[in-house]
Amino acid sequence: MLHYVTVNIDGAIIKAPKGSSVLEVAIEYGICIPHLCHVPGLSDIGACRLCIVERVTNGRSQVTTSCTLKVQEGMVIRTNTDRIKRLRHNIAELLVAEAPNSRAIQDIAVRCGVKKVRYPFRNSNCVLCGRCVRACAEIWHANALGFVGRGKNRHVERPLNMREEFCKQCDYCIQLCPMTIPPCDGPMKPGEEYLCGKCESQLMITEEVPDSCAWCRLGEGFNCGRYAGLKAVR
Amino acid sequence: MQKLATREDLETTRRQLLLDRKKTDKTIIICGGTGCKASRSQDVIDAINQELLMQEMDATVNLRVTGCHGFCEQGPIMVIEPGNIFYCHVTPDDAHDIVSRTLRDGEIIEKLLYTDPVTGEKIRTESEIPFYTAQDRQLLSRNREINPCSIDDYIAVGGYMALVKVIDSLSPEEIIHEIKVSGLRGRGGGGFPTGRKWAECYEAPGDEKYVICNADEGDPGAYMDRCVLEGNPYLVIEGMTIGAYAVGAKKGYIYVRNEYPLAVKHARLAVQQARKTGLLGEDILGSSFSFDVEVARGGGAFVCGESTALMASLEGKVGEPRPKDVHTVVDGLWHKPTILNNVETWANVPAIILNGADSFASKGTKGSKGTKILALTGRIKNTGLVEVAMGTPIRTVVFDIGGGAINGKAIKAVQTGGPSGGCLPVDKFDLPVDFDVLYEAGSMVGSGGMVVMDESSCMVDVAKYFLTFLQDESCGMCVPCRLGIDRMLEIITDITEGRGTMEQIDLLEDLADTVTQTSLCGLGKTAANPVLSTLRYFREEYETHINDKKCPAGVCKALIEYSIDPEKCTGCGRCKQACIHDAISGEKKEPHVISPELCQKCGICLSECKHEAIQVK
Repeated sequence: MLHYVTVNIDGAIIKAPKGSSVLEVAIEYGICIPHLCHVPGLSDIGACRLCIVERVTNGRSQVTTSCTLKVQEGMVIRTNTDRIKRLRHNIAELLVAEAPNSRAIQDIAVRCGVKKVRYPFRNSNCVLCGRCVRACAEIWHANALGFVGRGKNRHVERPLNMREEFCKQCDYCIQLCPMTIPPCDGPMKPGEEYLCGKCESQLMITEEVPDSCAWCRLGEGFNCGRYAGLKAVR
Repeated sequence: MQKLATREDLETTRRQLLLDRKKTDKTIIICGGTGCKASRSQDVIDAINQELLMQEMDATVNLRVTGCHGFCEQGPIMVIEPGNIFYCHVTPDDAHDIVSRTLRDGEIIEKLLYTDPVTGEKIRTESEIPFYTAQDRQLLSRNREINPCSIDDYIAVGGYMALVKVIDSLSPEEIIHEIKVSGLRGRGGGGFPTGRKWAECYEAPGDEKYVICNADEGDPGAYMDRCVLEGNPYLVIEGMTIGAYAVGAKKGYIYVRNEYPLAVKHARLAVQQARKTGLLGEDILGSSFSFDVEVARGGGAFVCGESTALMASLEGKVGEPRPKDVHTVVDGLWHKPTILNNVETWANVPAIILNGADSFASKGTKGSKGTKILALTGRIKNTGLVEVAMGTPIRTVVFDIGGGAINGKAIKAVQTGGPSGGCLPVDKFDLPVDFDVLYEAGSMVGSGGMVVMDESSCMVDVAKYFLTFLQDESCGMCVPCRLGIDRMLEIITDITEGRGTMEQIDLLEDLADTVTQTSLCGLGKTAANPVLSTLRYFREEYETHINDKKCPAGVCKALIEYSIDPEKCTGCGRCKQACIHDAISGEKKEPHVISPELCQKCGICLSECKHEAIQVK
């Protein structure tokens, strides 16, 4: 039997099944928190830090990622305060400066209100969100991909960079990768990157995304219904 | 040694050991810690041993090789009892004289005595050395009493009395209460109240619980934990045993970094001996309490000093932290309730239990009790391990114990707490060593590293050094830490190479704040402290780098230029000979010139010149 707890997210009183994360609950009820490394069905590691929220306890608020935070009775969460908006903006800015060549990352940056990137662009091919690694390990138990290296040298690699036969060719890593869709104007050349800021791209598998995001004014608020199933209107 | 089945057995053994000790009237104590070993104390030990045999004094003189005494800079160091005679910089060649003159005839060898760098006087005994007198050595002083490879020594000096007291008369609640009242706070950096941690773990549901000793000390310039674990591993194990008794754990781990080979060796030996004597294992000392310890080695990642990353590493996974929305006292090693404390924290436990919480709490300030070991390094006269009561002003540590600046340059700042800490300027030196006060000031006590810097250090360069360290050591899992540190380093590099702008300082502050607030683990959350504290206290240095394109301390290579003062240059040609880039030219006895095109700013000429003619601008 499912046990329910009552949580308060942005003032909405929500009955949520025990054991689910704040991010899942919020999305389910139409309060969209931007996120990158979270994929429904895969474990959450809190790597991208985009889904940060403020958890208010006894008048003190603490910044934490909503994907790893499990709901508890009486929990008070704020997803869109000025503080969170500023921090999220800065994280999205770091991400887009690192990998401007992805529609998904460009989209996240725009949604988080990035209008100007204050760092030199870098044009990486990977933002180390770990979607592919977890999908490979947790869905097919193939373990054909993993993280290698530390800090700046961290990258995704096959086991020992040679065991190709581990791969079961499910293509799930490619489907989930936020780097696979280039910006509308085509791939940017190194040294010519820019913040395009025009389009709405797809972060999740195509079927789950409605045609457009009419409910959401870009870059402000995240009440978007891209995870069809808008249950509570704030 | 026989297995000790009961508490009475332990007491009988202790009495017997003390009787045995009285048979020899003279003791020669030589430091065998890593610091002294590096200055060849092993050769001295061998030479002394041989001399004792040759002069037939091995029966009457007890040679004790101990752990670190703290004054590593003077190593190898030696203390001769009775008399408390302190010899430093001992070489194997001195062995004959030491044995025949000092040990046999009681004569003091002048040339081996310590010279006070402040007054220039020779000092005869250890207890008169200013470096020691200004300290309050509760933990470190125990190092010289025992041989870290002998559990007998530890038992003889009163070891395991706290454990006996615990098993005899204390309930877990009483132990936890005692630790709470003592006000002991985590010595590893966070300063979390130890008693509260234990209480939460005690209350956490589950039969299977663990205790862990964190000896994965990685801060540059800090070695407090190594010294305690190397010098007195039994103290740590006894503390862990008491902790395990209090929370109901049956298994403990000492996670020690593999770069500390001596600490690994001593910890392993201590565990083996404790098992053999029945002080670890089933039914300890005749009680129904069972506990065992395993020594695990760390693979060299700084981030594994973080509690959850350490646990992941112990579990055999990649040492990466995980979110701590549920604390490790409830969901720790193998998802079981776990208490993880630092070496120094564990080492403080036996004394608290034995002497009572009040005696521990009598030292220190309102929020920080007891003593703290600090690793004092940098541009001062006396460097080494220092133990002071909490609340001692930084000034006392730097000037009274450290002896003040070396080479007559003015001291500018002190960096406390390693890469997670910050830099405090000299006008903040009246602040006490206190968790809360230093945190308020933008730094932290941290694990206890204390690097003193003088005018020749550029604070922007210091921030750059720590960022480079953290960039290498960040696990790279979360965005703010991986990319944030990288971008902060990029900006600081711009500033030190003369490309900086004032807008970048604002960006740096904004970014530092983001990294602090949003990073996943403690490493990231504190990574911006070196930047934030230098920006707070030394902002003008940043501004000079940006606006005037000058490095006031003459450190940042892109912003300095070497030249020769023709007034002072005597044309001796030393610099010309020394320059590996052939950048210096000039005739003999004529002022020389440095060619700015060829000069690589290596600084060799600066150290070669006897006439202070080389100028750095």
